[in-house]
Amino acid sequence: MVALALALLLSTLPDPALSCQGQTDSGESFPTCFDPGTGWVLGTALRVQDGDPALLLRTGILVRVERSSGSKAESQWFDSHRLFLTEAWGGARKGLTFTGYEGLLRRHVDEGNILVSIGRPTGIPFPFDVALSLRAAHLERRVWEGPGWTLETGRVGLLLDPVRTNTEWGWLAVGPAASHALRHGRDGTTHELSPFTSLLLDTGWETRDGRWALRATGLAGWSFDFDGGAHFRARGDVAVEHVLLAVNDAPVSLRLAATGVLGDAGLARRDEAMLSAGLMVRPFGER
Amino acid sequence: MLVSAVTLGCALLLGQVETPEAAVPEVPPQEEERREAVAASLAEALAKPAPGAWDLQMAVPGADSPRQPTEGEVQCLRLPPTPEVPSGEWRARCDESKQECLVTPARELDPEGHETGQRLDRVNGCYDMLSPEVARGYRLVPAIAEAPPGWYRDERGRVLQYNFDLHRRIRVGGAWAPRWLHETQGRDDRIRVDFGVDLEWPGDTGRLHRMTLLDSELYLGDASSFDATVLRYDFRSERDEPLFRVTTFYGKPRRLDVFANLGFWMEVLHAEQVRREDVKADFLVLGSTHATLDLWHSRDLVSYVRVRAGPTVERDRTNGFFTLVPGAALEGDLTLDRNGFHHVLFGAEAQKILLAEHVEGRPLRPERLRLRAGYEVIALAINDQPVSLTLDGRGTWRDDLANAPAGWEWSAQAGLRFSLWAPARRTAPVSHDGKG
Repeated sequence: MVALALALLLSTLPDPALSCQGQTDSGESFPTCFDPGTGWVLGTALRVQDGDPALLLRTGILVRVERSSGSKAESQWFDSHRLFLTEAWGGARKGLTFTGYEGLLRRHVDEGNILVSIGRPTGIPFPFDVALSLRAAHLERRVWEGPGWTLETGRVGLLLDPVRTNTEWGWLAVGPAASHALRHGRDGTTHELSPFTSLLLDTGWETRDGRWALRATGLAGWSFDFDGGAHFRARGDVAVEHVLLAVNDAPVSLRLAATGVLGDAGLARRDEAMLSAGLMVRPFGER
Repeated sequence: MLVSAVTLGCALLLGQVETPEAAVPEVPPQEEERREAVAASLAEALAKPAPGAWDLQMAVPGADSPRQPTEGEVQCLRLPPTPEVPSGEWRARCDESKQECLVTPARELDPEGHETGQRLDRVNGCYDMLSPEVARGYRLVPAIAEAPPGWYRDERGRVLQYNFDLHRRIRVGGAWAPRWLHETQGRDDRIRVDFGVDLEWPGDTGRLHRMTLLDSELYLGDASSFDATVLRYDFRSERDEPLFRVTTFYGKPRRLDVFANLGFWMEVLHAEQVRREDVKADFLVLGSTHATLDLWHSRDLVSYVRVRAGPTVERDRTNGFFTLVPGAALEGDLTLDRNGFHHVLFGAEAQKILLAEHVEGRPLRPERLRLRAGYEVIALAINDQPVSLTLDGRGTWRDDLANAPAGWEWSAQAGLRFSLWAPARRTAPVSHDGKG
């Protein structure tokens, strides 16, 4: 994994010869670069959880926007939005996850600093970009566990990015996160709150042509029930995508993903591990 | 020639003048003799060509005569009268470089080779006169007049159609159509009466539309039934743009274009009455829409082999409910020769009936499979309207009839079909001696 990350890192070095246009023999041009953060995702995969294979379907809308800050000089926003992300799988452990919205809003400044306003204003160098992670309406339904569901109504993370890239192709954002969730089971619905007692990691790296993409997210920390009780939970996801070919300029990618959960899976707060491998197509994913 | 004509004209004019009887004086016998002598000398003058007159006696074309080309200007030409062409009216197409004109009588000829009163049919009109003085400078060759594409003209100047578009016609036919039921080992003796209006027209570049109106088959005899469709429409296309562009990135990025010729097929109001022994069932398709994918089609899109699939909304009139019938078919329609005489049809279609209510004596989701192969050949044409021989083989498996055993029925059908309209095909060649 480290070697892969290094390879990806090296491949993102500026390449003045990079061309995002190919040409057919008849002179028509076609795109050869893609944006892993943009498009309509349609995918299927083989999902293996605790030895049980299942077919997984995945869909969602990805939008990535790069813009200059309207109020701050020499400042850029790299915003990644994920809408209506849905994964459903069959097999013996039939289940569904749905995320209404998930976004990472990262602000890059060329020279970060902290203003000390006591006495003579002084700027202290601040070697981080700041980022805001948002998630809303994340539903988890596990049919095989019986009736019930888990709904994270909202989550917000205030993150720092020490890598400070000025592109959308790489980021490393770490920081505290707060969330509220509802857990509905046979015994009723309980509220669960994590008041910035969790640490959130969101990192990703992509090649400049967008044909390789690595993304990892993690969350670890404590959550508290309204009626008392604390739970430690941790979760990590890592996914690698590689564009195999393009059909009508829509990239078709191989996606390998792994997920590990500690004390956070379903209503029973299980420990789980999942692997998946599949194909996905991303219409409108041209860079 | 000119002198003779003027002299003859004067004589005729004089001959037409009526003199009042009362005004006519008595003609003495000497005067009478003098007049007869003048008339005789005039007739002698008319009979003997004047110096420089054109005494050409143009022969009529024969079976081996060349044919006038369809291109180029056609000119009217007046030649000296001949026993075969007393009117002296000819049509000429001249080749300046060869100093040659292919000339043909302006009227059709009778079996003895004499011109009739019928002007040549389906020829380009001549609007310019080729003067005899100019024509004298050319070598005049008797020829057969041109004919439009798909038509043939014989040496007598008559045209007959030898190329037929059976996708544009009004057809009426009949056939002997016995049916065998596999389950009961029985045979139904039936005849088929069929009718339909077929239309076909090219659309935008690379698209061909086809429509059939009132396609009806009525089976009479044992187990009378019918099958009728009010409207059937489809179009095929030849896409210049690839349907899929596949880009590969290993090595130098390359784009591979995948072409697929998609089309559309639909039916509106298709009624079918099915009879098997004592069981009768009525089905009415309200609408059916299929997407088509041509596996092969001819350059003119007329012949094809394709697959199509799509949903149908059907009313089970016997049991009184609506059903959804998805179906798929592999079918072909081939015109085997360029003159449109030989046609082959084949098809296999599978249907599954969904959303049906429970009916005693049949499965909840019945199925149908229809097979068909047919051949139609034009045997003759009456007044340019083709009469064709039709041969059909059909097989149907179905279990959608309540209280009737599921199984195959087979039918072999042979008959004749008369077609009205049936113009020449759009790709009809211009006739040559071998009829195109």
